[in-house]
Amino acid sequence: MSTGTALARGIARLNDVARAPRGAERAASRLLSAGASVVASSVLVDSAMEHYRGSFRDPAMVLPIALSAGSLLLNGRETLAPAGPSTLARMVHVTAGAVGSAGLAFHAWNVGKQAGGFRLVNLFYRAPLGAPATLLLTGLIGTMAERLADPAAPRFAAFLRAPRVVGTVAAMGLAGTVAEAGLLHFRGAYHDPAMWLPVSLPPLATLSLLRDVLTLAPRRMTYGLLGATAAMGVIGMAFHAYGVARNMGGWRNWRQNLLAGPPLPAPPSFSGLAVAGIAALRLLKDMRRG
Amino acid sequence: MIDQRHDTLDHTPRCGDGRAPDPLVPAGWLPMREYGEDEVDFVIVGTGAGGAPLAAKLAEQGFSVIAMDAGAFFRPLEDFASDEMHQRKLYWTDDRLVDGDNPLQLGANNSGKAVGGSTIHFAMVSLRFRPEHFASRSKLGYGVDWPIDWREMWRYYEEVERMLHISGPVRYPWGPKRPRYPLRVHPMNAGAQYLARGAKALGIDWTETPIATLSTPIGKAHPCVYRGFCVTGCSTNAKQSALVTWIPRAIRAGAEIRDLAMVGRIETDASGRATGVHYHRADAWHFQKARHVVAAGYAIETPRLLLNSANAAQPDGLANSSGLVGRNLMVQLNQAAWGEVDKEVRAYKGPPSLAISEHWNYTDAGKDYLGGWTYMSQGPLPAQWARTLARTRGLWGQALVDEMNRANHTVGLKMVGEVLPNEANRVTLADETDQYGLRIPRVTFSYSDNEKRMMRHAVAFMKQSLEATGARDTWDQMDDTCHLGGTARMGRNAATSVVDADGRSWDVPNLWVCDGSVFPTVGGVNPSLTIQALACRTADRIGALARRGEL
Ligand SMILES: Cc1cc2nc3c(=O)[nH]c(=O)nc-3n(C[C@H](O)[C@H](O)[C@H](O)COP(=O)(O)OP(=O)(O)OC[C@H]3O[C@@H](n4cnc5c(N)ncnc54)[C@H](O)[C@@H]3O)c2cc1C
Ligand code: SF4
Repeated sequence: MSTGTALARGIARLNDVARAPRGAERAASRLLSAGASVVASSVLVDSAMEHYRGSFRDPAMVLPIALSAGSLLLNGRETLAPAGPSTLARMVHVTAGAVGSAGLAFHAWNVGKQAGGFRLVNLFYRAPLGAPATLLLTGLIGTMAERLADPAAPRFAAFLRAPRVVGTVAAMGLAGTVAEAGLLHFRGAYHDPAMWLPVSLPPLATLSLLRDVLTLAPRRMTYGLLGATAAMGVIGMAFHAYGVARNMGGWRNWRQNLLAGPPLPAPPSFSGLAVAGIAALRLLKDMRRG
Repeated sequence: MIDQRHDTLDHTPRCGDGRAPDPLVPAGWLPMREYGEDEVDFVIVGTGAGGAPLAAKLAEQGFSVIAMDAGAFFRPLEDFASDEMHQRKLYWTDDRLVDGDNPLQLGANNSGKAVGGSTIHFAMVSLRFRPEHFASRSKLGYGVDWPIDWREMWRYYEEVERMLHISGPVRYPWGPKRPRYPLRVHPMNAGAQYLARGAKALGIDWTETPIATLSTPIGKAHPCVYRGFCVTGCSTNAKQSALVTWIPRAIRAGAEIRDLAMVGRIETDASGRATGVHYHRADAWHFQKARHVVAAGYAIETPRLLLNSANAAQPDGLANSSGLVGRNLMVQLNQAAWGEVDKEVRAYKGPPSLAISEHWNYTDAGKDYLGGWTYMSQGPLPAQWARTLARTRGLWGQALVDEMNRANHTVGLKMVGEVLPNEANRVTLADETDQYGLRIPRVTFSYSDNEKRMMRHAVAFMKQSLEATGARDTWDQMDDTCHLGGTARMGRNAATSVVDADGRSWDVPNLWVCDGSVFPTVGGVNPSLTIQALACRTADRIGALARRGEL
């Protein structure tokens, strides 16, 4: 936990160095951009792999790739060298959110029309509901970052700047990701004890964050849990890489096993969302001070 | 190169020098205890679904065990090719004679010859009997009762399901409550989806088939890759055959496996007790002394061995005072309905039977026959499919080519149906001998009217299901059978059965049978899970009898 806290503090402090217009909001904006970049890369790699597997049967299957790539570029730039709000960024983020929502509806329709409808077998193996939901989150977090980047910017969706809203979005995102990991690790029958981690640690972080949002009081423990969740997302990739190795042919057969094994890009979504949660804590802290 | 290896494998045993192949590691070995020709507690003849778990569980109790198999000890990762013809090396194709009104087809569809037995190339469907089928005489008015209560079997089923990491649905629609399957379901291939849609249209339950192949990596075994070579042997070790599950466990517990060891005769002494087995290995006959002998060669080879072991005191065959050794041979009906759809199906992708309905196994009303049947989606490999078309529809030349071109659009449903015990269906000895000089089995089989009525109902129903999903040009395949059972049945007394509930011969107290031949009835589901559950029970019972000094 203390390493998690240190990590979270470290992440939060990175931004203080570049203290810009209104300290906290600017810092939170940059953190959100960082979180959105991580989530966007996860979506980018995941949708590219999965839609490649699906042979791009529907031309719309390129949309999440294009939008997550755009989101990654814009959020990445905002993280490394903030340039402030822009209409282009806003458009990309909003479109990513819209495509994510449409994708969610489409995937749900697709699952529903399978033999057996919303049976577990289809939730396990058919168009995943979690994936487009993550694109939706990318768009939302990107928009929040963009809204916070310049307090003087037009009033469009100003509520997205509210600390409580940022915190709630991060918490909901984490909860959804926990649900997805829970479903897919259940599909894997929790055959490795490490598979319990993403369904136990992030829920604690989520609850702790929600409590802070309600009480408007960020606590050390929440920093710790979110930091640990961020670290878990990275470690999770290593576990998934090991999972890939356990398929027939191992990494030598990477072209098949990257698709057959546990998805490498999935765990980092936790990291991105945890960072967004830390951004919310930063805003909450500032609100109390102010 | 594989062929060369196969050639040497065919003649040179791999087990010996204190080691046996590790089936899960290319070129790997497991240290193995060896007993030489010293008298051991148990010699087990056959290492399939019956022999392998018994060997493991007896060795774990501290008994000295040698398990012999006429077949080779393979390492699937390096010995199995994705080639239907090459993989014929897994089948028992020694000479056998067939007759009766409906001579059985023997070999690929029902008999394996390898360490691991028929489970090396079986289709992995892992079902529990319907409880009433353990007492079909008293509950349903046909066949005979088993001497074992279904509740006891339920516990052993659970043990086997855990051992084999069966992947199955969270909720099973039929029968009494069962624990959750250890692993989750596999994705359904297109063939399975047609079963599901058809069942829905006809208003009956269906589910994903409980199946013995991994949906997640376990130990050194890889998860299933859905290439569909299952019935020619699985080269990834995802399939939980006896070879990759019970056999390594048996070796680790101190059992010795003798591959390429064909047992020709069980020896008995003047008092009528078994003293050991004569077996052929590495071009010579040997004798292995044993305090107990277990026949586990499946429902043709086990009665053949007992009959071939006749002696002066038991001239009609060993353990045959009831006259029932070889009688009541049962197969299961394996008729199918096929049709063509517009969509590309490629039903051979993935394990062949990923969806199932046990509706007609659990429903007795509305039938003009006795017994139950289940049906499953099907996915035949190309060469097998070509053979089916040639044999059952007489297609040849251009007609066969045209039909093969439509193979990717073919959907099919196949039944597993209960055949009732009938003493006239039997295994006897022919006068001809095989490569070892042993008299070969003659297998006599005819359908009764009951079976013919069951087939008609099943095929019509399956056809209706296909048509409800838009299949056209449907046709029936009426000639297939699968699974064997019943030629050394268990029962409650010596007059009406060959062995007791523990698999122990009534006549020869140190002779046991542990394989599909002990089934008094076969029920309407595939047998391997039941055979393994019975083997686990037999092992426990032997332990209990030993503790009481009753061995
Ligand atoms: C193609 C196919 C698909 C199947 N699919 C399914 C399925 O999906 N589900 C299911 O439940 N069941 C299935 N089965 C049936 C199942 O595999 C068998 O019922 C089961 O393996 C029988 O177990 P057993 O121990 O009685 O015999 P086996 O597993 O056949 O083992 C007998 C062993 O004894 C050896 N042997 C015989 N005689 C001698 C001798 N004299 N000396 C030395 N060794 C000897 C043989 O070489 C063989 O290895 C299938 C079978 C086949 C062939
Ligand atoms: S489909 Fe699965 S079980 Fe069948 S042979 Fe391939 S890997 Fe083995």
